[in-house]
Amino acid sequence: MMFRKRRGLQRREPPKNEGALKALTELAEGEKGVIVKALGGFGLVRRLADMGLTPGVEVKLVRKGSFSGPVEIEVRGVALALGLGVASKVLVKPIKDEHHD
Amino acid sequence: MTKQLRVALAGNANVGKSAIFNQLTGLNQIVGNWPGKTVERAEGTLHFKGYTIRVIDLPGIYSLSAFSLEEIVSRDYIAVEKPDIIINVVDASALERNLYFTLQLLELEAPIVVALNQVDFAAKKGIRIDVNKLSEALGVPVVPTVAITGSGINELLTTVIAVVNGEKKLQPLKVRFGAEVEKQVQKLKKFVEHSLPQLCEVYPAKWIAVKLLERDVDVAGKLKNYEGGAEVLEHAEKFALELEKMHGEPSPVILASERYSIASKIAKEATTVEAPPRISLEQKLDALTTHKVVGYPILASVIAAMFTLIFWGGSYLSEVLDFIFQGLSSYIGNILAHFLPSSAATLINNGVLGGLVAGITIALPYIVPFYIILALLEDSGYLPRAAFLMDNLMHKMGLHGKAFIPLILGYGCSVPACIGCRIMETERERLLAAFAVTLIPCAARTVVILGLVGRFVGLHAALALYAFDLILIFILGRIAFKALPGEPVGLIMEMPPYKKPSLRNVLTKTWSRTKDFVYIAFPIIVAGSLTITALNIIGFIAYVTAGASPLINGWLGLPVEAGIPLIFGVLRKELALILLAELIPLNSLSAVQMIVFALVTMIYIPCVATVAALLKELGWKKALAITVVDVALALFLGGVAYRILPLFMPS
Repeated sequence: MMFRKRRGLQRREPPKNEGALKALTELAEGEKGVIVKALGGFGLVRRLADMGLTPGVEVKLVRKGSFSGPVEIEVRGVALALGLGVASKVLVKPIKDEHHD
Repeated sequence: MTKQLRVALAGNANVGKSAIFNQLTGLNQIVGNWPGKTVERAEGTLHFKGYTIRVIDLPGIYSLSAFSLEEIVSRDYIAVEKPDIIINVVDASALERNLYFTLQLLELEAPIVVALNQVDFAAKKGIRIDVNKLSEALGVPVVPTVAITGSGINELLTTVIAVVNGEKKLQPLKVRFGAEVEKQVQKLKKFVEHSLPQLCEVYPAKWIAVKLLERDVDVAGKLKNYEGGAEVLEHAEKFALELEKMHGEPSPVILASERYSIASKIAKEATTVEAPPRISLEQKLDALTTHKVVGYPILASVIAAMFTLIFWGGSYLSEVLDFIFQGLSSYIGNILAHFLPSSAATLINNGVLGGLVAGITIALPYIVPFYIILALLEDSGYLPRAAFLMDNLMHKMGLHGKAFIPLILGYGCSVPACIGCRIMETERERLLAAFAVTLIPCAARTVVILGLVGRFVGLHAALALYAFDLILIFILGRIAFKALPGEPVGLIMEMPPYKKPSLRNVLTKTWSRTKDFVYIAFPIIVAGSLTITALNIIGFIAYVTAGASPLINGWLGLPVEAGIPLIFGVLRKELALILLAELIPLNSLSAVQMIVFALVTMIYIPCVATVAALLKELGWKKALAITVVDVALALFLGGVAYRILPLFMPS
């Protein structure tokens, strides 16, 4: 029960007028996207860049944790766990998936 | 005469750096802190081909920015202390991300030799790396290694020696960024060279320029000591703004992108990906243990299994050691009694021997199995999965998933758990995590809970105490989180692939941690028990307990004698029960009294060794604050329990 009230964080997502941009958290499991930019403070953005999340790089959302927990992504051949708050600040452009599964 | 060499190990976390360190130095390691910093420093020596080599294991980091203390400590060591060679441990299965760090070492113009580690694991993933191509691209020697088995370690050392005595020449790659960025860097570099000649003797001028463009707080801070510093900073700010205007990104992101594009190019050219990887056992295990539903019962089982093993192994070991050491200490005690006046004999007997024996027979037997299991969990890669599952719950306490690791450690012993809080990124989170850790019943407190409540009242009551403790930690964690200023930090954590742990690595880790624990805890245990025994001999303790009787008897409803064990419990919590049993028959206590006694023991000050660890990690103010809160809370809850419990419990 106490896990429910996590919505607030997700609401702070990008405005819809950014075109095809999505927050990383909005990708489906297994879906890929290209990083466009990371919102948030200087420290966070820099840390994400150090971990390889720089604009233009391809990421894959591997899985989402339950109770709006963290997400696991794959970037530059490495698996990273990002807390929901962090992941929702990363904007991606989804890559059209040719072969549906 | 042997020649002296200083070699530093540097690299990302989870690349097998500590395995290489263990292979190089074996058990000849000293683990301590960097002077004045709460960053672990591991050092060891080895002898090879007439050289005495001092190896320093730098912390596992992803970058050389000023993100964490670890990063600052590392880059200052490399730039200022200038080790003869840096062995850059690189994970062959994640080359691109690892090269990002290698490039930063090259920017620092450090003399490096690359240990391309986990080549076996990479091969299993279908990744093959052309060592010669990689070596050519970087301009430094690259030695493939498998640290776990020790393969390649000899070649690595031979290469290091060859570089040192000039048989092998380094022609390190000069990191050049894209045209626009490089132009800004070069412009700023001119100012740096002109205005800060002294600083350029320590750090490369170009590196200073790059860091200033990245708005590195630490480097900017260094400039304040120099006359021309302010002017250079102004230029740096101007150039950084120009760069940001061109690219539409914050400058550190621009530079990170530049480095990554170089790293990516080098990695691609040196890598061939063979046969697309099949879904391996490791991946299946990964999917299962992080599963939305199944992951949680697995986590619960792992923790349950871990504790069962620790208590089994621990109580068995404890009995064996107790048998040996009690006999030995009473033998020594008898001899002493012949030669010394009785108070001196008591002092040595109870103070020194008693403390040592308690440490050996009660603490060590639980801590050693705990360390073994912990090392297994760490090396297998399970802990990050547990952190992944627990992230959300930890957020409620203003922490993130990684804090789950020190909390689990806390069930073994609070001392390593407090030190383990270092994995948290900020001061604020270290404090929150350490506070929660002190409330977790460690093995010693478990002895009291199980030995008193579990044994006489029933296991259900003991389990209820544990459950109450978890709820308490959650509530207090939440309050502390709201009360402390500052923003919580989100989780950014690598999820290294599952691996089979190596026995050698597990045992080495256990050994060095146990040694570390003995060094921290034993002197304190002995000093503490010596003091209290001395105070007891001069009658001070009796005086205190008499004074404390309104509190012990009036407020907590315990027999007056219980005051002594509670005071002695500060040394080691299990002593509280041992002493209580010596003073009054345990079964003369009522169920409520037992629960109150166990509850108070569970929550009040961790123990001297933990306070010492808190002091070391957080400074005296925070250590004091935690101690005061814990004691007040224990007394408050104990009194409340004494008044409320009888309503629920038929006596």
